[in-house]
Amino acid sequence: MAKIFFEDVVKPTVFSKTKISFNLSALYDKLWEYAIFSLAATGAIIIVLIFVFIFMKAWPVFQASGLKVITTSNFEEQIRHAYFAPLDEQLWEFGLLSLIVGSLTTALGALFIAVPAGVGTAVIICEMSSGLLKRFLEAATRLLAAIPSVIYGLVGLMVVIPLISDRLLNVELQIKYLEYFQLNGYSMLAGIIVLSFMIVPLVIALSVDAINAVPRKYREASLALGITKWRTIIKVVIPAAKSGILAGVILAAGRGIGEAIALSMVSGASANMPSLRHGFVFFLTPVLPLASAIINKSQAISVPSIEAALFSCGVILLVICAFLSISTRIVESAVRRRQGLD
Amino acid sequence: MIKIKIRDASQQLFAWVSALITLAACFGIILFLLVKGHGAVTLEFLLTDPNPTFQAEGAGGILAPMAGTFIVTLTGVVIALPWAIATATYLSEYAKKNLATAYLKLAIDVLSGVPTIVIAIFGVALFTNPTLGFLSSMIEGVEGVNKAFGKSFLVCGIGMAIMVLPYMIKTCEEAIKAVPNAFREASLALGASKKITITDVVLPSARRGIITAIILGMGRIIGDTAIVWLLLGGSIRMTGQQPWWHLSNWLSTLQNTGSTLTTYIFLNSPAGEGNKPELAFAASLVLVVIIVFLNAAAGLIGFMGKVKEE
Repeated sequence: MAKIFFEDVVKPTVFSKTKISFNLSALYDKLWEYAIFSLAATGAIIIVLIFVFIFMKAWPVFQASGLKVITTSNFEEQIRHAYFAPLDEQLWEFGLLSLIVGSLTTALGALFIAVPAGVGTAVIICEMSSGLLKRFLEAATRLLAAIPSVIYGLVGLMVVIPLISDRLLNVELQIKYLEYFQLNGYSMLAGIIVLSFMIVPLVIALSVDAINAVPRKYREASLALGITKWRTIIKVVIPAAKSGILAGVILAAGRGIGEAIALSMVSGASANMPSLRHGFVFFLTPVLPLASAIINKSQAISVPSIEAALFSCGVILLVICAFLSISTRIVESAVRRRQGLD
Repeated sequence: MIKIKIRDASQQLFAWVSALITLAACFGIILFLLVKGHGAVTLEFLLTDPNPTFQAEGAGGILAPMAGTFIVTLTGVVIALPWAIATATYLSEYAKKNLATAYLKLAIDVLSGVPTIVIAIFGVALFTNPTLGFLSSMIEGVEGVNKAFGKSFLVCGIGMAIMVLPYMIKTCEEAIKAVPNAFREASLALGASKKITITDVVLPSARRGIITAIILGMGRIIGDTAIVWLLLGGSIRMTGQQPWWHLSNWLSTLQNTGSTLTTYIFLNSPAGEGNKPELAFAASLVLVVIIVFLNAAAGLIGFMGKVKEE
């Protein structure tokens, strides 16, 4: 941070030793620097404020439930009880495990589809296509990234949900699982499909950057050894670009975990715990990811305990996403260091 | 040998199929909206206020949501732009390599990773504070509750500004760093102060990047739903003094709630309360057209920059 020195502002002039002239322009310069610095500092303070405010609001839930917040799952019932509890006997105990599992399964499932598809598309854009097709693909990627999440949700609702309920569900299955949850197409699978289309442009964009950053000489050396173009891509280009691709994957994971609207529209909006014992129905379980829970239960936010429960969802999201951003940063700095050595 | 060929071919096939799926998804979504929504988009739909009703007839149009999107975008960008330019200028022109700068960079990185829904509930926590009640309105008539309502266009605009800040900082910083050092040296050699050098030489030379940052920020604000949902509310009409478009009511409109195109779509989709998908599709079509135009504008500016350099 800059300091205002007395000599900078008030300078004795050469002409008279007794009279001191006031150097206005230097003062003005320093004030300008201060103004800029304080604006920049506000941005840095905001993130601290976000952490402080959200932790503060969520604190009663953490205090009342302790570790149970992340180890038990009975969210729907707890919300219902909390909603009807009298104002002076608020219920502060909440278990968010099913929401955390919902967030992780949808995000990981989407990554499982989007990462191979995104890297494949990036390879096509960078190495295998040219001219009009390349420009078309680039434009499509940019546009996919720019389409608002609510539109993904709407299209998912009108296309993916009917597809799932027509193709994968039948009355027998619905009756069989009625004791656990209602199968109606709104499911983890729908969430995964919609989310993978949402994060694929991110994976593509960062993979394209990473692949373009691989030095030409790597490819030339490989081709000169008589290796085919495709083997060069698989064995030389992608391994050289893998840290950059990893940064993209982490970024996409953060986006997937934080996505609220589209998932709240398609993923079922009831906090069930998906169980592997159900076999294939695992993917058809209606789930409620953390971010969508905040949207879904926001109508009841005037109840203090429910407000605190939603803020504790926010705390978990914030911690996960901060961790992911910091890991992206570490990966990126590792990439930069290695490129410096190359 | 044949095995290797089959493996290579199948890998290539996978890459091509995924590229084509990406292409198909993009055009598929737009075509789907076009087919489903084009019938409802009429001049009347664009120019009437929405009307909460269960019938499709008389549900009105999307004038208020469009105006809402415009107001939120404008407030968001107006707040975020000077903030972003100042931070980017500080980082690229003044910051020394020390702990404070490292922290500032880390803070911006973490902020860019915070999901919009978390920024939204941060806004709920901050703006329901009674001292910030002037930004929205106070809750009146409930005994023992001293809280601000915490939902208004102003509040929503501030939330949006926080959301787009890191992206705009990054774009502005890149633009400022791309200005050749010779420009700065020439200006300083002419006796201009550092402040004059930045405001009269560096920032004007970086204007193309700054405009790109604005367009990027606008695109993100227009497409966001979570912040609007929690900081502007779930009503589709403007709730300030009527008529809301009257200039003398501007403050009341800004301090009260309304809707944007995204919440209009959400409310009219089968997931919302309205359940009039045809209107949701029509509004989505309008939204996508706006987004496509913004994208094209950003592309055009980049293209013009390239042409000028050559």
